[in-house]
Amino acid sequence: MEAVFFYLFAAATLLCGFLVIANPFSRNPVTSAMFLVLTIVSLAGLFVLLHAFFLAAVQVLVYAGAVMVLFLFVIMLLDLQAEERRSFKKLALAGGGLAVVVIALLAHAAVRESPLGTAAPPMVEGSPRALGKLLFTEYLLPFEILSVLLLVAMVGVILLSRKEAK
Amino acid sequence: MNDLVLMGLEGAVLVTGLAVLLLDLWITPDQRRLLGFGAIATLGVIFCASFAYLPDGTQYAFGGMYALDEFALYFKRFFLIAGMFVLLLSVGTSHAEEGGQGEYLSLSLFALAGMMFCASAANLALLFVSLELVTVTFYVLVGFQRRRLASLEAAIKYLIIGALSSAFLVYGIALIYGATGTLDFRQLASLPAAVMESRILWLGALFLFVGLGFKMAAVPFQIWAPDVYQGAPPSTTAFLAVGSKAAGFVLLLRVLHQTLPVLETRWLHLLMGVAGLSIAYGVLCAIPQRSLKRLLGYSSIANAGYLLIGVATLSAAGATAALYYLAGYLYTVLAAFIVIAVVLQHTGRDDFDSLAGLHQRSPLLAAGLTFAMVSLAGIPPLAGFFGKFLVLKAALAAGAEHPGFYWLLGIAVVGVVISLYYYFGVVRAVYWGTPGEQPAGPIRVEWPLQVALYLAMVAILWLGVMPNQITNLAELAVKSLGLR
Repeated sequence: MEAVFFYLFAAATLLCGFLVIANPFSRNPVTSAMFLVLTIVSLAGLFVLLHAFFLAAVQVLVYAGAVMVLFLFVIMLLDLQAEERRSFKKLALAGGGLAVVVIALLAHAAVRESPLGTAAPPMVEGSPRALGKLLFTEYLLPFEILSVLLLVAMVGVILLSRKEAK
Repeated sequence: MNDLVLMGLEGAVLVTGLAVLLLDLWITPDQRRLLGFGAIATLGVIFCASFAYLPDGTQYAFGGMYALDEFALYFKRFFLIAGMFVLLLSVGTSHAEEGGQGEYLSLSLFALAGMMFCASAANLALLFVSLELVTVTFYVLVGFQRRRLASLEAAIKYLIIGALSSAFLVYGIALIYGATGTLDFRQLASLPAAVMESRILWLGALFLFVGLGFKMAAVPFQIWAPDVYQGAPPSTTAFLAVGSKAAGFVLLLRVLHQTLPVLETRWLHLLMGVAGLSIAYGVLCAIPQRSLKRLLGYSSIANAGYLLIGVATLSAAGATAALYYLAGYLYTVLAAFIVIAVVLQHTGRDDFDSLAGLHQRSPLLAAGLTFAMVSLAGIPPLAGFFGKFLVLKAALAAGAEHPGFYWLLGIAVVGVVISLYYYFGVVRAVYWGTPGEQPAGPIRVEWPLQVALYLAMVAILWLGVMPNQITNLAELAVKSLGLR
């Protein structure tokens, strides 16, 4: 049963992710954003299957909710028109396809050779309490560096988007 | 508390960055330079303080997340020197920037802190987060001159390819975690042999290499380098060429020798192949270039190749050579970019024609650029020569075991010979180029840049003439990595 849902959500994630960047039916940025929402929701489904319930909820609330609303606001405020249809270079398409095939072959070979599921079961059952404890004990340093990273992102966005002083 | 003392160097850099960001709110534009000099002086103090750390073996902090040893300290000092020069360069060219000088300083400091964390990463989570801190900061720094189209284009290219490489990196980390159940370097190193043979672990490590290869600008992850080097502001390019590359190498060496030693034999041919391809690609593509920044972009790819030869030998001699090479490369690239920054400011261009008559307009700039090019070409007695000499010597010694190194040696020597052509093309343009219709007035170099250029030139010469001090430090660093 779990396997069925896994494949379902995984396929939905891949399909929607593909439609975000290359939708053959629509060039409208809003459609892309909507498919991004679907991608995020399918990912949340995968988190649920991993028993990471808190992460799944946060994923939906923060990304599918808050972040995507912001995305849509920006898209609509900028009044983006449907993008022009680009002609793809054959060579670039072939190169991209080749890269995907090679990576898929590598992954297939790796999974075939060594059995999955040898690793220890996860330490956390996904409750906010356990997660918070891990973040503030074992992963304290990366967690604090992330706050610097967010500061950098904030400063960067303001710098790159502010109006000229003069 | 002990944990905080151990990561005191990074902490101090972070606090400096925050202080610059805050102080910038209150000061007048005239005081901006003072702010810059204050930051540089603070970095100098932090650099001196780094010699107070005498790690006896490897010391761990934050539950094994963070490691401090001679190896980490070597790279921290390296990054701090690079940071001081980059800040000096940015202060010296400040009036040409488009405002936001204080932010530029603080972002550079945050990137510097990220690189220093890379040097001490002992956990894949910290590795990822500190690399991202470096990369995300560089997205902003590359696009800093946002009214210049070239700068924006470079930033977009760096953003897209950087995001792709980050995806590989984090996927690789996920695979490694999936195969072993741990992110900790010490636990990874002590895994049972059966787990070490897991193909999933190898695949994860390969993806990790993709992420690091992007930082090092090694073939086939080099495609961004020339465009980004050309478009970014010169001080950013210098930091990117030196700091970002070294961050890739410090992590590669640590993962390879300390974390997953099983990869040493597995990756031998991979490393050799990437090294050979990088040298061949960088050298051949540099020949037709007319833009100095672009030329240095390709030269950076070739230099990644020479550094990778040192890593591929898997010997202490090779790693020492790579560490020395990086130190020489640091001063050489900085000297070149100081000159480029001034020339760009005066002519708005960085092609060979804009260099014509430089020896009359500013003998100092001409001498600095000549020093850099001669060192990059590997002519004795400058630092570049001794770096290449050490790398090739290590490769020759490794050739006894793996004949493939003789091929690599051949590629490297041919690469050096070809590179003479374009490096001396630059020198020829400086001294014998025919100036076009441009104004040939003398170029006045601001004193911070003069100081930086003199220091870099002295360092290039000093490293080349008296390499022992640095090689001793490098040997100590490599020894703490567990290499014999």
